Amino acid sequence: MNIITGLINGMISGATPILLAALGGTFTFYAGVFNIAMEGMMLTGAFFAVLGSYYFDSWLMGIVCAIIGSLMMALIFILFAVTLKTDEFVTGIALNLFALGATTYMMRQIFNVKGAFSNPGIVPIPRIHIPLLAKIPILGNILSGQNLIIYITVLVVILSAFIIFKTRFGLRLRAAGYNAPSLDSSGVSSAKIRIWSLIICGVLCGLAGAFLSLGYVTLFSENMSAGRGWISLAAVILVNGNPWGIALISLLFGFTDGLGLLLQQYMPSQFTSMVPYVATLIALYFYSIQARKRKA
Amino acid sequence: MQRKLISGIIGILIALLIGALIMLVQGYNPIQTYAALFNFSLFGFYPLATTLRNSVPLILTGLSASVAFASGPVNLGQPGQLLIGALFATVGGLYLDLPAFLLIPVLILLSMLGGALWSGVAAMLRKWFNMDEFITTLMLNMIADFFTYWAISYPFFDRSAYSPMTPQINTNGWLPIWGEFNSNVIVMVLAFFVIYLVFNRLTAGYEWRITGHNSLFARLGGIKIDKNYVTVMLVTGALAGLAGGLVVMAGPHRFLKGLGANYAWDGVMIAVVANNGLIGTLLYGLFFSALQTGSLGMELITAVPREFIQVLQAVTVLVIVAGRGYLDILIDKTIARQKARERAT
Amino acid sequence: MQILIEMKEIIKVFPPNVIAVDKVTADFRKGEIHAIVGENGAGKSTLMKVLYGLEHHNQGEIYLAGHRVNFQDPGEAIAHGIGMVHQEILLISQYTVWENIVLGAEPVNFMGMIDRQRARQLVQKKIDEFQFNLNIDAKVDDISVAAAQKVEILKLLYRNVSVLILDEPTAVLTPQEIPQLFNELRRLRDHGHTILFISHHLEEVLTLSDRITVMRKGKKIATVQASETNKTDLAQMMVGRTVLFTTLREKSTAGKQIFSIENLTYIDGAQHKRLENINIKIHEGEIVGIAGVEGNGQFELVNSIMGLIPTKEGSIRVNDVNLTKADILERRQYISFVSQNRGKMGAAVKASILENVMMTHHRLNPQFTRWKGLLLNDQYARKFTEQIEQQFSVVMDQMDNPFRSLSGGNQQKVILGRELLLSTPFVLLDQPTRGLDVGSIEYVHELILEMRDQNRAILLISADLEELFRIADRILVLHRGKIVADLPTDQTDIEEVGYLMLEGKENDAKETD
Repeated sequence: MNIITGLINGMISGATPILLAALGGTFTFYAGVFNIAMEGMMLTGAFFAVLGSYYFDSWLMGIVCAIIGSLMMALIFILFAVTLKTDEFVTGIALNLFALGATTYMMRQIFNVKGAFSNPGIVPIPRIHIPLLAKIPILGNILSGQNLIIYITVLVVILSAFIIFKTRFGLRLRAAGYNAPSLDSSGVSSAKIRIWSLIICGVLCGLAGAFLSLGYVTLFSENMSAGRGWISLAAVILVNGNPWGIALISLLFGFTDGLGLLLQQYMPSQFTSMVPYVATLIALYFYSIQARKRKA
Repeated sequence: MQRKLISGIIGILIALLIGALIMLVQGYNPIQTYAALFNFSLFGFYPLATTLRNSVPLILTGLSASVAFASGPVNLGQPGQLLIGALFATVGGLYLDLPAFLLIPVLILLSMLGGALWSGVAAMLRKWFNMDEFITTLMLNMIADFFTYWAISYPFFDRSAYSPMTPQINTNGWLPIWGEFNSNVIVMVLAFFVIYLVFNRLTAGYEWRITGHNSLFARLGGIKIDKNYVTVMLVTGALAGLAGGLVVMAGPHRFLKGLGANYAWDGVMIAVVANNGLIGTLLYGLFFSALQTGSLGMELITAVPREFIQVLQAVTVLVIVAGRGYLDILIDKTIARQKARERAT
Repeated sequence: MQILIEMKEIIKVFPPNVIAVDKVTADFRKGEIHAIVGENGAGKSTLMKVLYGLEHHNQGEIYLAGHRVNFQDPGEAIAHGIGMVHQEILLISQYTVWENIVLGAEPVNFMGMIDRQRARQLVQKKIDEFQFNLNIDAKVDDISVAAAQKVEILKLLYRNVSVLILDEPTAVLTPQEIPQLFNELRRLRDHGHTILFISHHLEEVLTLSDRITVMRKGKKIATVQASETNKTDLAQMMVGRTVLFTTLREKSTAGKQIFSIENLTYIDGAQHKRLENINIKIHEGEIVGIAGVEGNGQFELVNSIMGLIPTKEGSIRVNDVNLTKADILERRQYISFVSQNRGKMGAAVKASILENVMMTHHRLNPQFTRWKGLLLNDQYARKFTEQIEQQFSVVMDQMDNPFRSLSGGNQQKVILGRELLLSTPFVLLDQPTRGLDVGSIEYVHELILEMRDQNRAILLISADLEELFRIADRILVLHRGKIVADLPTDQTDIEEVGYLMLEGKENDAKETD
């Protein structure tokens, strides 16, 4: 029993950063932005989370700083890709490498360490115990006692689905991606919609980063996003941006993450670490087969 | 050509200026820092030789990315291809016992084979299952990272070492060093000429370029774009693999953890700033190498940590790329405005 | 009638130096239907886009009801009561009719949620008010082009727009649908709306409009009362000289059969029959024209002949060589091809002129390469490009410049030259004069006739009936993927072919595609 709840909890925390970033990516996906900068935004978020938490002695400030840090990345993306009309792909690549360089540099500069910064002074984001839910047998250990961000994430999924499909902003957001000239001609600037989508993406990637460095673990290490931004991009593509689909697929990736940990007893950790990436390839395979069937 | 050169130089200057501003904000002396940076990378025989040696993996992965992007495939798998190439050369160097004049070419070929194999996986996934190489190569990068980590931790682990690494390869497989000059540069220059010739003078290269511009036009013109796609993936994989092999053969002569560093991603950036031009890739590769080589000296002389260079590189890329597009638009718009004014009077 | 809009000395230069609108002064009155006519590239659309805030003029002033205005984007223009329906339908095909109509002006409740019920009611009210026949819950993807155009107009009416700009609204309609649109427009005018109507079809302009402004090469030529002018005068003002709609055909004696398609049927991924039992035979020295409303199978026919889509039923032959299953390179030994879209299919616009000229030749002509095809022969390619430059009087600066630095007419000359010099027995021309100016069109026609005189077999697909009647020997009419008629040109006339192009539509008005 403990193994299963452990596996499920592992799955949930493995899924959370991917899910948050992918939800951010889904807003830009619908707005028609080829945004591959989630990796960099998440990494920056993770760094600033530790910075804020450490200096202000407060996990809340950690989250706030993470969002600010990630938003700065989003603003750079907006400056280059939307305002200066630089190629989105190129901007994304450069921004990811900028994030990697800048966080490594700042870690060295501010904390005077290389590789990783961990310190008892970093305040992690607390787990929330919900008294009533905790008492439910079996499920209690899953529904209660999760990290705050995980509860926020659930909320974000619902909210995203609502915003994208039910609201005025959502209608315009999707219109920007489907047919930007049509939206422009309707009197709504598609560039503005893109900017908003990137800002939302920045906020959500900031949360994802905060969870990585203040929830999943309590430290910052060089390149700690480790390709999660890319996986979240794959997740968005796989389900064509649907928030519920993204939730499902992120849980699947989280599951492979947890499975990897479980498998460590039987094989070298290097192979188990590969599992999420192999899983992405397998998911892409099924997606392509499906897409081909639909075409034929 | 001239316009490219000028916009490149202006871009670099602006980027250096932004870098200087960042340093000023942090209380460093930018002039002193840049002096140290370039003293240790450009001025003097030893610094120059080091910059040249360090430029090899950057330029080779840059060429790999440039040729791929200019021909169509979005091969972002240079990091993985570099690692597999390095692993192939290392394993060959551990188990083959040949005289140097045979072993060196064999190891070079092995590294290219390794890189091509890894990019070939992505090419096949695309060919058979229509899976986008853009994501598959990224995933294969991560897989290659863990796979080589495993390979140097278990089957090829050096039992006398404390951290994951292989033993040193057969000394016959070491690239000769003359004084300060490492012969990996010769291999790189040779590779550059070959790929330049293929890309610009051969029928195949012409077809790759046209396919990169407009694949439907190429297809209608009778070009077999699917076959060319696979060829380009294999060739660019081989280039990245070669970069990995040379890193092992020129440097530590073994595969140790973190060997790939950030060479391959830097290569992708170099291709991007060079707008996929081969000569541009060579020049920007040298410039990035000068930055990275000088960074050690900079850290030694001033208090600026060398990670600063990574920031500077990304800023350079953004400034040059954004400037390139925006400058053209700006110039065109100004001409248009002038013409309209002339017309009105 | 009072003047509602005044445009004074408007100049618009497209970067870097294409003068699209050249010091145009025009006025539009309240409650009139005002047509703006001119050839392709005369600047009609650009002038209207400037008024609508979609393009920004470099010089000049615009007054709306006496007040100076300068719209930065369409949103501002709409807020001032000016709306535009574009030439190509600009709707979101994934959305329903009502979603498209309210987009940008959505009724919402306190949570920012779209008030579906109110939105649908408002839209339905507008539909009833103007007697448009539309299902508001249909997906735009599923409705006909004519219906989509109504949605565009409704979208503007929903925003209480009083000035409607329509950019070539009849181009996408069948002749049967046109009178209906005109009735709706007249009704709008009688409601007090002002309608600005871009067109180059003179007859419809004369039937519909009150006043007509003629533009040529970015300049305004004149504004006239529709009742005081006629087709010939308008044509003369549009083109700048007297237009002779003369035929260039001459009786040619057809030789042996070169090209044949037999029983070709193509069914697409969605199980729609796009081509059905197509049979075409072309002899040497013969130009066969394909007439038809766009989207009736022309695209699939071209793709089948070129090998872009697989042929499962039927056969394609040139000179008795069966090309049905051949790869594209093998086809290119027998087929020259000029596509309707230069930038997409006919050239790599960012590559150099030289690189564009040598395409296909580099595979078929051994002189272009050395070392058994491995190495390019740059010298020969340069000589060849010079030959094309001279033979087809292409105006070019340097052959190493990008292809897109050439003007449209010169681009088409280069492409025609390249394909012509392939010296294939069969030539496929898909709307080779689309988007060209009159001079270039005439040149292209001469080239096509020259090819005929070289005894090649030519298949000419064109949406322009006048073009077909000018040069084709036989005209086949393609309708719903079937060839419904095969007529020698001298035994038919434009009216008959025009009727045949649409005939199926009359019998069976429901869209299947």
